Amino acid sequence: MIGLIHLTRLFEGHAAVDSISLTIGSGEFFGLLGPNGAGKTTTISMLSTLLLPTSGEIRIDGERLTRSRQDLKRKISVITQEYSMRQDMDMDEIMEYQGRLYFLPVRQIRSRTEELFRFAGLTEHRHKTVRKLSGGMKRRLMVCRALLTEPEILLLDEPTAGMDAISRRQMWGLLRRLNEQGLTILLTTHYMEEAQSLCHRVALMHDGRLEDVDTPAHLIEKLGAFAVDELHTEGIRSRYFSRREEAIRCLSGLQGTCTLRDTTLEDVFVERSGRHLI
Amino acid sequence: MGIITILWEKWREFVRDFSRITLAAMIAPLMYLIVFGWGIRTTMNGQPYLYFLIPGVISLTTMNGSFNAIAQNLNVQRLYEKAFDQVIISPTPLWQFIAGQIIAGALRGIYAGGIILLLVLPVRTGLHFNLLSFFILFLNGAVFSSMGIVVSFLARNHADVPRFSNYFIMPMAYLCNTFFSTDNIPRGAREFIAALPLSQTSRMVRAIASGQPPVLTGIPLLFLYLSLFTAAALFFVYKKKNL
Repeated sequence: MIGLIHLTRLFEGHAAVDSISLTIGSGEFFGLLGPNGAGKTTTISMLSTLLLPTSGEIRIDGERLTRSRQDLKRKISVITQEYSMRQDMDMDEIMEYQGRLYFLPVRQIRSRTEELFRFAGLTEHRHKTVRKLSGGMKRRLMVCRALLTEPEILLLDEPTAGMDAISRRQMWGLLRRLNEQGLTILLTTHYMEEAQSLCHRVALMHDGRLEDVDTPAHLIEKLGAFAVDELHTEGIRSRYFSRREEAIRCLSGLQGTCTLRDTTLEDVFVERSGRHLI
Repeated sequence: MGIITILWEKWREFVRDFSRITLAAMIAPLMYLIVFGWGIRTTMNGQPYLYFLIPGVISLTTMNGSFNAIAQNLNVQRLYEKAFDQVIISPTPLWQFIAGQIIAGALRGIYAGGIILLLVLPVRTGLHFNLLSFFILFLNGAVFSSMGIVVSFLARNHADVPRFSNYFIMPMAYLCNTFFSTDNIPRGAREFIAALPLSQTSRMVRAIASGQPPVLTGIPLLFLYLSLFTAAALFFVYKKKNL
């Protein structure tokens, strides 16, 4: 279980993360959503101990997480937004270095690397140095590296950023399977579709604060499950309704181009933050 | 153990870049020996100047070899590649990471110094290098590796490490008992420069090389420098809120 207790991080007096309190259960798939600068990456960085909080604390299974808690860090793997790999190492070296940093026996590192490379379709590229890999291959290598240590908690910071639609879907499938096997996953994302499809619960962040924490379905329900979009010269104005009949009634009273559709998590977010994410 | 992991990583780096590392370690010291030793043929205390120069150049080569092996590399890993993030995230104790870097850097310094020693071997100088010399050179390398770690953590961009090198490492290379004795420096500056780690190393290594009993007070002084820089490095990795 992950517990954030009044977690705060200031940068030159500005609160990038402002007294966040949150509990994420074991085996949960949790999403942190928010526009750029909302504090998602700062939160993930504190969870991975890259940043230390200004105040508040993080608890993993009830124990306080610090940079010197090897036992707790052993449970966590992180896929950062940036590639965070030595450019001059080849894929095998990247995996072996990671395994050694987690004190895995070399034999186990090698057999698990075989397995993961086969699974990720990287076997034939294993002797390429990181600087010669495409962006997609680097991402897959980062996933392999994170899974090598068989973590209990996986933190992902924008894991599908820059991926094409097919790779993104493949990544979703993989994350879903891992979660079904009991892995606790916390991801940050810009893609509302991704969060809606994968996450059991999501937290909406804005200006370093948590605005709401709930299941995607509940958040949508709170706003209204049906949306009517009305096209204006200055853009689209959306109205939300709990019941379909209300939405149809509204639609029939409108003139010009109008559509009725299901409300999405993106609508929730746009309504809350007042601006589009993508 | 985490130290072994870091040594493994540095070993892989050494194997991969063997020729580049070896050439880089050789060029500057070789130039010093050719220009100041063989080119400008002069004497010092009735002996060829080259005999004075060799221990100093070997000492400064271990300094450069160790500092460069750690400072620039760690700086790139931290600011550009972000590979250092994985070390912070991992359960490897960070003191072991620091210890591994210091040992690996000191070994790289010994390697660089060893190359110069091999190159001057055909010149029959009668200079002696024993286990104590190598221990002192290793310690010197450890001091400058730990300094390299601190510099790489202080650096805010890629230009900061070469800048530090220009302001501190290069003046030390010239002034610290390498090309001339610190006894020739005016009082005030003399005491300060003589207390610097490279001055101590050169003095002890030169004394051993010329068969005189070395004044070993430099060894505790080198340990003191090593402790200070290591403490600073540990402070950074454990306490700095934003690495």
